[in-house]
Amino acid sequence: MTGLSGIGIGWRPEIAGFVAELPGLRFVEVVAESVPASGPLPPGLAQLRDRAVTVVPHGVRLSLGGAEPVDPARVAHLAAVAQRVDAPLVSDHIAFVRAGGLEAGHLLPLPRSREAVDAVCANVARAQAELPVPIALEPIAAIVDWPDDELDEADFLTEILDRTGALLLLDVANVYANARNRGTDPFALLDRLPLDRVGYAHVAGGAEHGGYYHDTHTDPVPPDVLDLVGALCARRRPPALLLERDGGYPPAADLRAELDALAAAAGFPAVT
Amino acid sequence: MIVHAASGDTWGIPGPTFLRFYLVATAVVVAIAVYHRIRLVAGANTAGAGPLGAQQLAYLNGGPALAVHAALGGLRGSGAIGVGPDRRLLTTGPAPAGLTPLDQAIHWAAHQRSRARDLPGEQRVRDALDQLRTDLEQRGLLLSPAQRVAVRRWSRVLAALLVLGVVRLFAGLTNGRPVGYLLLTLFAVLAAVLLLWRVRQTTRAGRAALRDKRREHTHLAPGSSPAYATYGAAGAAMGVALYGTASLWALDPGFAEQAEVQRQALGGGWSSGSSGTSSGGSSCGGGSSCGGGGGGCGGGGCGG
Repeated sequence: MTGLSGIGIGWRPEIAGFVAELPGLRFVEVVAESVPASGPLPPGLAQLRDRAVTVVPHGVRLSLGGAEPVDPARVAHLAAVAQRVDAPLVSDHIAFVRAGGLEAGHLLPLPRSREAVDAVCANVARAQAELPVPIALEPIAAIVDWPDDELDEADFLTEILDRTGALLLLDVANVYANARNRGTDPFALLDRLPLDRVGYAHVAGGAEHGGYYHDTHTDPVPPDVLDLVGALCARRRPPALLLERDGGYPPAADLRAELDALAAAAGFPAVT
Repeated sequence: MIVHAASGDTWGIPGPTFLRFYLVATAVVVAIAVYHRIRLVAGANTAGAGPLGAQQLAYLNGGPALAVHAALGGLRGSGAIGVGPDRRLLTTGPAPAGLTPLDQAIHWAAHQRSRARDLPGEQRVRDALDQLRTDLEQRGLLLSPAQRVAVRRWSRVLAALLVLGVVRLFAGLTNGRPVGYLLLTLFAVLAAVLLLWRVRQTTRAGRAALRDKRREHTHLAPGSSPAYATYGAAGAAMGVALYGTASLWALDPGFAEQAEVQRQALGGGWSSGSSGTSSGGSSCGGGSSCGGGGGGCGGGGCGG
């Protein structure tokens, strides 16, 4: 429905030269806030657009989960970036990054209450009114649950997606991290999520510290996460899966091996 | 206007007459010098001579010192060399396969526990650098010493004219003649000599090759904080070659610090070279406008 397909990788300036040389690459994701609304595109990104590689702007600052309305300037920026790179869709998080005028600086999880659902839906509707393309919503990882959660993860997401008509950006590594840290069954959660609404999926690496699994994006993708990718694709394969790497960049051969392993787990052709 | 020689004229030539001939002569010499310079520093089209490697580009960008640093970056990127607490280089094993002659020479020198700053003086390293230089000269990317002499040939004639003017200036001063316009002219000629004397080692073709490679490798610019672990030894060498030793610091600050590598960022532009040439021409234009003043000055001795 969005034209996204296959295996992609998060475009970062640090590895732009690596991404540029992936022969089979059909799509990348770029942090929307790192792309200027006007002026020249980052050079590597412009080259990918010349190769007709699809670029999906991924926002981190809309604060869709905030109790206050989304900042129109941030929505306008996301819309402008989507237009600049000719994106088929954009994405952001079901989380809040600011409250009462204060910036948290990172993504904070919401309590899964009816009130939170209302707030998210109102904000998503505001964003959708300004965006030229569909938006995919990504739930974020949470080490602990809020004490007053009224809904479970699947019901919370399903409710938001049903009411907004938005797509789901499913983070497989998050599903794994949440289940592992809470001692629940990730496969059971997959069974209850609206997999037909998945626009694309994120896959990232992580590491265990102090008994908790952290979705670091700076470590290799563990085999358990690849197994979960396989289980997801066996139920209903998302149109596209994207490897997120945000630091601790390994040698090119290792990164290619990760992309190949992801492609193999998902049954997509290799992009390397 | 005809100016008659008077007994008080220096060398028996009236000031305005001298100035007129002097200006014409310097203008002609500057024009010839600029023409030869443009022709000689153009270099050659080397599309058929095979791709340029990191060390060749480094030589074009920052001379032998940067070529050495590019090789250091590559060898460090592949983990073939390290540095000891005594700040001397060391090898971590046998030389890897596929090394250039410069790599091999530096690997050998590191095995001899050379310091990074002493590398350009090591005989094997010097030989490898000479080899690089000769190849770049043959490709028309660097000027050979003979070509640099040729570029300067007409600058020498201009310098001789400058000397003549200075002699006339002093003669005029001792004669008690006005020398203001001559003095102004001499400043312009001096500026032209200084500008034309500077000859870049890199030809225009060399600078164009460098520019193309930079455009091709923008992802290695320090502003992108390139992930050298991902780009490997070749990326490290190319980063140093195109963007200076700042890339070596980004690659491995511990190594760069311990080996006492000077931090230097390159990659701005080489346009200053060509604009230097054209401003040499325009300062000559300043000289001729002074000549107009001399003509307007008329009968009075304004040329010394």
